[in-house]
Amino acid sequence: MVRVKIFGTARLKAGVGTFERDVKNVDELLDVIPNLTRKEAKDLVLLVNGKPAGRRYRFRDGDEVVLLAPAGGG
Amino acid sequence: MASKYGGYMGKVLKIDLTSRQVSEYPFSDEDRELYIGGKTMAAKILGDHMTGKEKAFSEDNLLVVTTGPMTGSGAPSSSRFNISTLSPQTGYITSSNCGGHFGYYLKKAGLDALILTGRCDKPTWIEIQNEKVIFHDAGDIWGMKTGETQKALDDKLRMKNGRVRKNGKICIGPAGENLVLYSCIVSNERVSGRGGTGAVMGWMRLKAVCASGNKEVPVHDKEKMVKHTRKWFRYLREHPLTGNQLPRLGTAGLVSAMQMKHILSTKNYTYGQFDEFEKVSGEELAEKYNIVNKGCLTCPIRCARTVEVNGQQVKGPELETLVLLGGGILNDNLESILKWNYELDELGMDTISCANTISYAMEANEKGLWDNGLKFSETAELSQIFEDIAFRRGIGDELALGSKRLSEKYGGKEFAIHAKGMELAAYEPRRAAGLGLGYATSNRGGCHLNGGYLVILEGLGLSMNQTTYHGKADLTMLFQDLMEMISAAGQCLFTSYAFFPAPLMKHPNAWYTRLINKVLPYSGAVVRIINKYPEIACFHLPVFHHTKGFEYTTGMKMTFGNYIRCGERGYNLEREINRRFGVNANKDALPKRLTQSLQDPDDPDSRVPLEKMKKVYYHARGWNRDGLPTERTLRKLKILQDTRRSE
Repeated sequence: MVRVKIFGTARLKAGVGTFERDVKNVDELLDVIPNLTRKEAKDLVLLVNGKPAGRRYRFRDGDEVVLLAPAGGG
Repeated sequence: MASKYGGYMGKVLKIDLTSRQVSEYPFSDEDRELYIGGKTMAAKILGDHMTGKEKAFSEDNLLVVTTGPMTGSGAPSSSRFNISTLSPQTGYITSSNCGGHFGYYLKKAGLDALILTGRCDKPTWIEIQNEKVIFHDAGDIWGMKTGETQKALDDKLRMKNGRVRKNGKICIGPAGENLVLYSCIVSNERVSGRGGTGAVMGWMRLKAVCASGNKEVPVHDKEKMVKHTRKWFRYLREHPLTGNQLPRLGTAGLVSAMQMKHILSTKNYTYGQFDEFEKVSGEELAEKYNIVNKGCLTCPIRCARTVEVNGQQVKGPELETLVLLGGGILNDNLESILKWNYELDELGMDTISCANTISYAMEANEKGLWDNGLKFSETAELSQIFEDIAFRRGIGDELALGSKRLSEKYGGKEFAIHAKGMELAAYEPRRAAGLGLGYATSNRGGCHLNGGYLVILEGLGLSMNQTTYHGKADLTMLFQDLMEMISAAGQCLFTSYAFFPAPLMKHPNAWYTRLINKVLPYSGAVVRIINKYPEIACFHLPVFHHTKGFEYTTGMKMTFGNYIRCGERGYNLEREINRRFGVNANKDALPKRLTQSLQDPDDPDSRVPLEKMKKVYYHARGWNRDGLPTERTLRKLKILQDTRRSE
């Protein structure tokens, strides 16, 4: 089970900030994000336990995943 | 002086407040070609007057309010104006770029700029209507907060039919009147926030300036400009930052990204992450408090928020306020920040400097250096403290001086987080080395925007190596110059984000984005060539609509290279004026906490490698080892004959 947190505009679209899912890897996770298509999810920056992670990353139980979009502003 | 160029009204007025004498100030087309408008035009005017002996609170100081040629042209986000003066906070030139309506109405009144000097014999407000200047007694509005002041002024501008004449205004609140060193000038809900411009206006006993008129801003090639503007608006609306993130979350939307990248200033810049950041984030603001988005005139970005506080709809906080009055003082109560943000605007104080001064005071108290009663996370009394600062009562009288002066009195210089006396913005630079260099070298002091805002490459928009010093100096120079020119032209700096092609922001995981992130630290040599010989960029960049827009509006030939060069001229001119007031390499400094203490004890790179970057930066800028522009550089930029003649 991994705990997923979404930030930025993606969170507004997803309509949920935090959720838990039983997924094995990043590829599986991309399909289960509420209200986001796989294509949209693929364009989010992904961090696992605070560190950048690639598409091939395999989750361990209890991992905390963060998804967010690039941002800018003063 | 009338102009052959579009975008200019062709008139600059100088108002001597002591004698109430109004005269036209000569600003020629040759000056316009070199110094464009906005902060650069203001620097030219200040440079012609300042010898280095003037004081901020003296009749020798000038408060220069300028517009750019794009102001009121109909181009996106082009309602900006600029206020420059000798800062009481830093002792150097400060400039503050502001949105709202005033710039547009100043041009409607037929003016490109206003130069205010001297001191009124009693509180006064000035009305400018179609170039005509009328002085009014401000005895009845002196002491009022900024919202009340602007309402009272609207009543005074009511016409016979009962309607308020359409106008733009700038005013100060009690903080400016009482010379709080970081007081600001307010225009509607927008703020010319940094460097203490409000205190200079307060010292002048000038409560407000209202501008109105019915003149039209001339546009050189209206047909092409209208077509180009449509395209430009569309581009900004489709860009992920200016069309999605900023409209939907405002600048507050950056909090979570900053947290993830360890650049969220927490507990007076002790840490780069705040455990309770979600409670004071842009997402929380949007979901629970945001009522409607607002924008300045002709702005498609609409980054401002309107929120509800105590049943009243008011302007929501920007990122800086949210972070520095949130994690900065270990406060996780968003509602309190909304309230304070409103209160500080009403009092007319810069939220960044005020928040950082409070967090310095809290740490000084915690460390036993100054028994002032302020404690991290204990915030019940803060509203009262803000009032005390604005009215210079009790402890507020000392807090009104800012963190630099307080650290000189009580100690703790290593955690008084300022550069040149002006407090830093909310980005913790130990994980954004380039921004650290920007803070240190910024002409107006600890400013992220005047500093080049490299943090957008260092983890926010792109993911360049955050702590390396490689490539940072040259990129900082490029972005400082670019933003200098956008500001001079009279546009919002947020339009510069479209400089980054949309695919890079839309697809952060694509191979080309990852490649650019990897390559950026090694781009220094290429960027240096562009910085040194910008004339080779003798074209318009497809993603950068500013140059064509400028050309169509003014009729001046403008390429990307010219654009950068004009920015470079402005940056060097301010530096050259600051030289007269004693700026040098030693003044381009950051507190030891940021350059010597590691943010993460396990990461030896988690501090700002400032000296290494400064060396490369000075070389790139054509400055000597002491951080001063060489004669050759000043000649190349055609500044020399202007700035040294006053010596």
